[in-house]
Amino acid sequence: MSLSTSFPRSRFRPDARTAAIIESIVIPLGALIASALIFSLFLLVLGKDPIRFFGLVWTGGIGSAFSFQNTLQRAAPLILTGLAFAVPARIGMTLLGAEGALVLGGFSSAVIAIPMVLGGWPVWIGLPVMALAAMAVGGAWVGIAGWLRHYRGVNETISSLLLTYIAVAIMNFLVEGVFRDPGSTNKASTMPLGADWRVGDIPGTSVHWGLAAGLVLAVLLWVLMERTTFGFAARIAGGNLRAAQAQGLPVGKLAVASCVIAGACAGLAGFFEVAAVHGQANASLAAKYGFTGILVAFLARQNPMAVVPVAILFGALAASGGLVQRRMDMPDATMLVLQGIIFVTLLVSETLYGRLPFLQATQSGDRT
Amino acid sequence: MTGNHKTPQAPSLETVHMSKSFGSLRALDDVSLRVASGSFHALLGENGAGKSTLVKCIMGFYQADAGQVLLDGCEALVHSPRDAHALGIGMVYQHFTLVPCLTAAENLVISRADAPMVIDWKKERQQLEAFMDAMPFRVRLDAQVSELSAGEKQKLEILKLLYLDQRFLILDEPTSVLTPAEADEVLGLLGDMAHRGEVTVLMISHKFREVKTFCDSFTVLRRGRFAGSGSAQAVSVSDLSQMMIGDAGLRPPATRTQAPPKGPALHLDKLSASDAEGRRVVSDVTLTVNAGEIVGIAGVSGNGQSALIELLSGQRKIDAGQITINGEDFQPTRRNFDRFKVFGLPEEPLRNAVVPRMTVAENIAFRSFDKPPAANRLGLLSPARIRQRGADLIARFNVHTSSPDAPIETLSGGNVQRAVLARELSGEVEVLIVANPCFGLDFASVSDIRRQIMEARNRGAAVLLVSEDLDEIFELADRIAVMSEGRITYLAPAAETDAIEVGKHVAGQHG
Amino acid sequence: MSDAFFVVLMAMIGGAIRVSTPFLFVALGETLTEKSGRINLGLEGNLVLGAMVAYATSYSTGNPWAGVLAAGVAGTVLSAGHGWICKLPKVNDIAVGIAFMNLGTGLAFFFGKPFIQPTAPRLDAIALGGWSSNPQVRQALMVNPLFFVGLGLAVFLWWMLKNTRWGLVVRMTGDSAASARAMGVSVDLVRLLATASGGFLAGIGGAFLSLYYPGSWNESLSSGQGLMAVALVIFARWNPLRCVWAALLFGATGALGPALQSIGISKGYYFFNAAPYILTLIIMILSARSKAASREAPGELSIVK
Repeated sequence: MSLSTSFPRSRFRPDARTAAIIESIVIPLGALIASALIFSLFLLVLGKDPIRFFGLVWTGGIGSAFSFQNTLQRAAPLILTGLAFAVPARIGMTLLGAEGALVLGGFSSAVIAIPMVLGGWPVWIGLPVMALAAMAVGGAWVGIAGWLRHYRGVNETISSLLLTYIAVAIMNFLVEGVFRDPGSTNKASTMPLGADWRVGDIPGTSVHWGLAAGLVLAVLLWVLMERTTFGFAARIAGGNLRAAQAQGLPVGKLAVASCVIAGACAGLAGFFEVAAVHGQANASLAAKYGFTGILVAFLARQNPMAVVPVAILFGALAASGGLVQRRMDMPDATMLVLQGIIFVTLLVSETLYGRLPFLQATQSGDRT
Repeated sequence: MTGNHKTPQAPSLETVHMSKSFGSLRALDDVSLRVASGSFHALLGENGAGKSTLVKCIMGFYQADAGQVLLDGCEALVHSPRDAHALGIGMVYQHFTLVPCLTAAENLVISRADAPMVIDWKKERQQLEAFMDAMPFRVRLDAQVSELSAGEKQKLEILKLLYLDQRFLILDEPTSVLTPAEADEVLGLLGDMAHRGEVTVLMISHKFREVKTFCDSFTVLRRGRFAGSGSAQAVSVSDLSQMMIGDAGLRPPATRTQAPPKGPALHLDKLSASDAEGRRVVSDVTLTVNAGEIVGIAGVSGNGQSALIELLSGQRKIDAGQITINGEDFQPTRRNFDRFKVFGLPEEPLRNAVVPRMTVAENIAFRSFDKPPAANRLGLLSPARIRQRGADLIARFNVHTSSPDAPIETLSGGNVQRAVLARELSGEVEVLIVANPCFGLDFASVSDIRRQIMEARNRGAAVLLVSEDLDEIFELADRIAVMSEGRITYLAPAAETDAIEVGKHVAGQHG
Repeated sequence: MSDAFFVVLMAMIGGAIRVSTPFLFVALGETLTEKSGRINLGLEGNLVLGAMVAYATSYSTGNPWAGVLAAGVAGTVLSAGHGWICKLPKVNDIAVGIAFMNLGTGLAFFFGKPFIQPTAPRLDAIALGGWSSNPQVRQALMVNPLFFVGLGLAVFLWWMLKNTRWGLVVRMTGDSAASARAMGVSVDLVRLLATASGGFLAGIGGAFLSLYYPGSWNESLSSGQGLMAVALVIFARWNPLRCVWAALLFGATGALGPALQSIGISKGYYFFNAAPYILTLIIMILSARSKAASREAPGELSIVK
């Protein structure tokens, strides 16, 4: 792109829309490359071979049909939790409540399944009811943070995080107590779902339906945010609250609704964790998908569609974690370090928006 | 500071042939100003007359393109506010520069360049008390600044300058945040100090009453040029306003046509509202704006005009009273904005009217995005239609932008305001709420925007215009009201009043 | 019955002192940071990284106090990164905090793997209960010197903010960046130093976790204390002395579950674990929009706007 300096300016003059699109691709991509370089340096200092590392990530995450399916499997909850961060972010809220909504949502679906299983309900009714329960509980849980923010002035970042800790404690309390399956000896869990009460895999793959749900929701939420009056109003409120008020927009309702949508996405992720992965609810639900989702959403620039490829990227990192661990004798936290470096680099790159030299020429040219 | 025998001498100050340009705008053109030692000098002028530029050049915020500053007759080189302070020139700004969470004593001590690493409060307190004793007025040293009243803060700002041994004081509209009683007290005490030869004061003001009551001499600027000076006691108020306003308007004023009379449209009935701390900011405002009429509300900022606009636009809660339009109750919701065809041009559009990061076309769609043709019944948007409509209105309202897709923050102030006009005035308008629409805009934009407002009136809209610019009020309004301390204190048809009469009421001289 | 009550009471007093110490250090660090007008949500990362570094250092050098110092240094480095990034334009300090929470935790887990098994020398407590023959009292009054360091620091910070030039400059920067700039203060530098110093304190809080209570290094050592401390600072209204009381209150709430467990009530253990979070949330709801809090809040703080 530095070519633009050697040509007359008029040769490279993207209009504003193109410039914005170029920025939103070039900057995150640049941040990714920069973090790969920083992480390589980190590995070199530790005497590890970065080329081997990224090779293993490729093999373990994308290289074979098996590993790619593993990646997609892990990407499914990340898509949903990424969406759970991205949607309220568009209205200016930084919510860390997805983990809590996932845990409580998953737990609720496992609990609501018990009477249905015992009562001999048909599965085709039971599973949707479980999914809806998960979404309702997750939505309500995160909705609290939105409500507190808008009607009580409580900072939503901290309150949603506290709600996450409370959610995990509530689930542990209930799983250890009232809803503990007597058969679970090692790890307190709810009653296991039989094989017929499980969500299966997408035909021809070993990836559960949660991925499909994530893809559909990503498209739906993209449409919601970019192509509906709701999304447009939310973007006004997120961009300038006073302007939104002056337009008579119901800013409080928009904020709470965004939080409810976010919680529902995370709750749905919890449902799939229960119905497709674990078959019951226990402490394994709190697997930090909710927190990784924050990073996914940031890298995707809060764009619901972009959440999908980014979630797959992080799914690949997670999927290859075991391989890297075994082959390179590195701890499982390696991927956490890489994630942390990506996150920090990404935030540093935010400062570049509107300041890339080869794009800036057109933007400042607008001034009259 | 303890001994009265060691009072520093009040300096005199002159600017000689000072000029300053910003791009093509000549903000100061060959201005010479003379403030004698121990005098209380008023600097008068309309908005944009160059008062702020002049004092900022004196203070070293700007470097003048030509001309010099003479302090006690010697040339003073001021390259930064720090230089000015070292020379004993200090300024009190329109907005407070005190740190709200610190106490008065802490603010004073930390303002010193030589504040000690560990502060011996006992010693400092003694010195501060002694300093306060030598001053004509005092402020509670232990009070946190945020707890002080506006008048006390203003006193503390002045005390800070004296504490730092600055004896040439520049005050930028120091009373705009004060009640008349507070203003009189502070100005009276300052005048006494000046006459005792302890300080020299240069005060920017546009309140004739204060100038006449407290000042010795004055200088008037008009459009960046010197327009007159003399003794404040000898000059008459009408001469002063003549100097300020000049031969009113080189710009062709917006043409007013006879609008079809349709009777009352917007009616405010005993409206009251409070700020976050529970203080009344709008009290019992009753006002009718007829269709095809512009009612202009004049007044110094901070007298409730912004709050009144916020009440009408739904940004602030109404405590008491009612708004009716054509006799029907009006609550400021989006549905009612559409139903009663209420539109608005808020002040500071970047803060109140647009989302800086959204595109120009999207910003233009704020009023229409949720209705056909931009959206269908299901709430699905058509970005192409939004963009097309944006492009049409950009052309129609002459908004200068590289593309409808440029973020609106990349536009100049005048073009942002034009984009807002395009959004608010492109359809049928019955009620239009306008606040300081031309503040900080260039000349061309100003006439363009005023013409559009006038055309809305000519088409039959009821227009409520709040402006701090008397010129603007007189150019546009059919009837003129003055708002002071949250109340309407004056109301008259524009044809039956003049700038002097309105100015008196703006300055707080009731009756 | 009264005997059981006494046991619980003693366990809670002892627990409050033990559990409150890391809260106190993080809260004091956050107070300093926020007083300068910046928020650092990343102190949770400092806490975990500090715990690991302290444990590893103590293990390798045999001196737990070297571990405490190393933890502080690690925390300083982490927070200096935070402070440096936040001064860039268009960067959101809350998001940066979340990122540093991730990075700090990741680094701690990465380098901490080999130290989960071995036992490192721990900090010794001071036995203040020697006068009593009651074992519960003696147990409760085994107090770690870091607790007293924390108390001293709280008093020092309180004094410093009122009585030194630096203290006034920090408060000025936090309340009105424009005024600070007008006086020629480098706002970014003040905030960088305040954030880094805050990080030092939070790192020491982590050292307490791994070197005293619970007193070992593992990956579930901290459960959000670093974040709760941020809420605690709001509750304490940015006053270091009130931080002490708030930390003790949080500590007592956190000690409730283990205290009840010590007399055999384990039924609601997980529920009582949630008590500090619930308390924090309630406090936040009560103190949001409170006039006292908004008056004392540093004016530049994004989180209270």
